[in-house]
Amino acid sequence: MNDAHAEQDWRAWFAEHGARLRLIARQWTRSDADADDVLQEAFVRFWKHQRHLPGNPNALVVTSIRRAALDLHRRTDRRTLREQVVSVDAAAVADFEPEADPRLQALARSLPSLSAEQREVVVLKVWGDLTFEQIGAQLEISPNTAASRWRYAMEALRRLVTARTYE
Amino acid sequence: MNNEDQDIESALRSLRPRPPGPGVVSAIGRDLDAPVAAASPRGVILRWSAGLSAAAACLLGFFLFGRPPVTAEPEYQLVRAEQPPASVDVFAPVRLEDGSFARPVRVRWSNETQWEDRRTNTRLIHYSPSEQFGLIPMETY
Repeated sequence: MNDAHAEQDWRAWFAEHGARLRLIARQWTRSDADADDVLQEAFVRFWKHQRHLPGNPNALVVTSIRRAALDLHRRTDRRTLREQVVSVDAAAVADFEPEADPRLQALARSLPSLSAEQREVVVLKVWGDLTFEQIGAQLEISPNTAASRWRYAMEALRRLVTARTYE
Repeated sequence: MNNEDQDIESALRSLRPRPPGPGVVSAIGRDLDAPVAAASPRGVILRWSAGLSAAAACLLGFFLFGRPPVTAEPEYQLVRAEQPPASVDVFAPVRLEDGSFARPVRVRWSNETQWEDRRTNTRLIHYSPSEQFGLIPMETY
């Protein structure tokens, strides 16, 4: 990740990181439109007020996205974030660009089959570039729990991809 | 983490998330690229109102809390007590019911007492006007 602390054009930074940030926002929202709204609000807040703060800008922007998603849920209804995340449907496969490699296609199709808890850990680790400790802080779980969800997710994905690649 | 996990992880990293739509970039641009807008008349009025309100609050606070502290009990001292000369008005004689004559007289006077608290330069004045009306009998021959 480029140093967001440096003075640079937000467009260049967003062009490099916007796609993975949107995927993170999508984990905590019910629709693409909500994810776009959350990403916009979180990114503007991060760029205006937080990018000069000390610490890992990656964790800061993820925190900003999560807070914006929670704010959106509070505004729209009283259901908990967990209920919202569980409602993410299989259309999540459209969150990725089409791939020619059948194994990658199978992997993209398999991600929505993970439980919401496992999927958010996978997304935060792979596309959020966070450590288990940082993931634990984001999700208010222990780093061990985050690591455990990751291991179960890898096991499930391996099984699913193998089955789907040869089906 | 075993090799199979690393294999899955590296495959995941090669997946490319879809970028946000152009509408998101435009909306962010409106927030981040917007120049500082010239103050609208409504904004000027609001800012002036807020400024004047704050100044008035400061002034009120100065008058309320900026004065020297006053103890609970005032320390008044008697500085003046006087009774100016009474004024006497004598009217024309009148005839009473029993046929005798009398002269109506009205006497007016006042008492004034003043106390002063020198610390606060305040003065307490007690003024009590009085009036008395009477008849002075007259002997007629």
